[in-house]
Amino acid sequence: MNSIERIQATLAGRSLDRRAIAPVLGLYGAKLTDCPLETYYTDPAAYARGQSAVRETFRPDVLCAPLAFASIGAAFGSELVFLDTLPPNLRRPVLQSVEQWDSLVPPDPDVHPRLLYFRDAIRLMVAEHGGEVPIAMVIPIPADIPAVIMGLETWLETVLFDPAGAQRVMDKIIPFYVRLVNGFFAAGATFVVMPCGFASPAIVTREIVTSFTRPILAKVLAQLRGPVVLHNVGAPILAHLDLLTGLPCVVAFIVDQRDDLVQSRRVLGPDSVLFGGLDCANIAQMTAAEVEDRCRLILQDRRQDAHFVLGTSGPDVDWHTPPENIHAMRKAAESFGRIDV
Amino acid sequence: MDIHQALIERIRQGDRMGANALLDAWASEHGYERLLAEVLDPTLILIGEGWRSSETFTLAEVYVAAKVAEDVLSKIAARRKPPSEGQPVKGPVVIGNIEEDFHALGRRMVGIFLRTDGWIVNDLGNDVPAAEFVDKAQEVGARVIGVSAMIMTTARNIKSVREEIDRRGLAGRIQLAVGGAVFRVCPGLAEEVGGDGTAPDALDAVGLFGRLWEQSIRKEAGV
Repeated sequence: MNSIERIQATLAGRSLDRRAIAPVLGLYGAKLTDCPLETYYTDPAAYARGQSAVRETFRPDVLCAPLAFASIGAAFGSELVFLDTLPPNLRRPVLQSVEQWDSLVPPDPDVHPRLLYFRDAIRLMVAEHGGEVPIAMVIPIPADIPAVIMGLETWLETVLFDPAGAQRVMDKIIPFYVRLVNGFFAAGATFVVMPCGFASPAIVTREIVTSFTRPILAKVLAQLRGPVVLHNVGAPILAHLDLLTGLPCVVAFIVDQRDDLVQSRRVLGPDSVLFGGLDCANIAQMTAAEVEDRCRLILQDRRQDAHFVLGTSGPDVDWHTPPENIHAMRKAAESFGRIDV
Repeated sequence: MDIHQALIERIRQGDRMGANALLDAWASEHGYERLLAEVLDPTLILIGEGWRSSETFTLAEVYVAAKVAEDVLSKIAARRKPPSEGQPVKGPVVIGNIEEDFHALGRRMVGIFLRTDGWIVNDLGNDVPAAEFVDKAQEVGARVIGVSAMIMTTARNIKSVREEIDRRGLAGRIQLAVGGAVFRVCPGLAEEVGGDGTAPDALDAVGLFGRLWEQSIRKEAGV
């Protein structure tokens, strides 16, 4: 099986030659190609070269298009800072208050270079690997986007204390977001992974998810032209997982390493794909033997689960992670051999 | 329902105005001078215990609590009374996000809760070089520097603050508090970066700063 066949079989719940593995190695490609991160996160060809190196080195079953959420904020005018071993971050958000949204014109996804970068990187990756490896684009859910434009604190304050203002903000974001994400699909993204900050139990209440985040997500997902995977954003999500089921386009969920996989499966039902695994920060701290042992335990727990993928939770696998730790995930998956359904 | 539970209920509902109204009513009967010590501080402790022990509070709820605490401090200041009336002034301390870290929210909440507890806080903001932390601590006479980092790579930059403290011969006198999301998922990271202590969340940081302050005094006295 190649990786596309393996992921498709996982979606369909069919037998596999081995368990699919999907560590998030967007950033790691820059390390493998010794590429300065400002180049990596602005030049689609440099990024695509990094992902070719990731594939050659680790043979993951999913390749990730750039995880550079701050670049979306930069397309709106936020000030970006490039770092030595991390994706770019925001130095300063472009807006300081909800009132400033009224005069803000969202950037055009078909024209703005910071947004075209994503699309072009996807195209290049699809051209080289698309017949064999799924290409995932990662972008936060729509309710998280204002945080990279006005800062998390101001956005949180708006959602909490000015619901009408928050709705006005989302009225601007939603059409932009739908065009942006459908552009990713048009460029060839196999699926889009959406970290759910404003659905995370660590960040917001169930009431906020129910009354604010989910209705927006449902409205957006209904307009998308491809499959979506919802992601834990680096914190346990089980307590709110039930609020994220039954949404259009959603085919899979990536839970946190602290979430109980049995309970997660129970909440999701038997047919959704479930990604689980170690936290990307923890992998850097462990030995390769520890990574392999922990992955084996997870795979043993999920042995009967035809819809399970061994992934990583949190953002990118840490820059300082020894390569043998990433290889250890694969070794663990291979040690279980075929998965017969 | 007692005042603490009533306040928690309003905070859970995101009802900042309701929480303020509740506190104003209590203060009109008992006085603002008792509000911090008898109502706000104990409530924040309850929220903090719930947040870290069973994750029963969200960031949004703790943020509402922080804004209510800020509102109370503003009202006390407007009455031209010192914010820590009834308590001795604590500090000063220095806080900031380490170089290359731009995740301000946790640090700002630490600042709010420290001020609510009567601490004098020098907040240096985001992306602060190691030398700047130690320069400021020496300038104001701080015994505790609190450094925040959200992710692994920036957390490792905190080592440079440890090195700067040690290089200037200030180990023991200046205590290094470290915190941020990554410290919650990576046990042992605080020690690895040279921290003298860590706290799982912004509310618990108040107790941590108190313990480190005492530790600084003991170490300086050679106890």
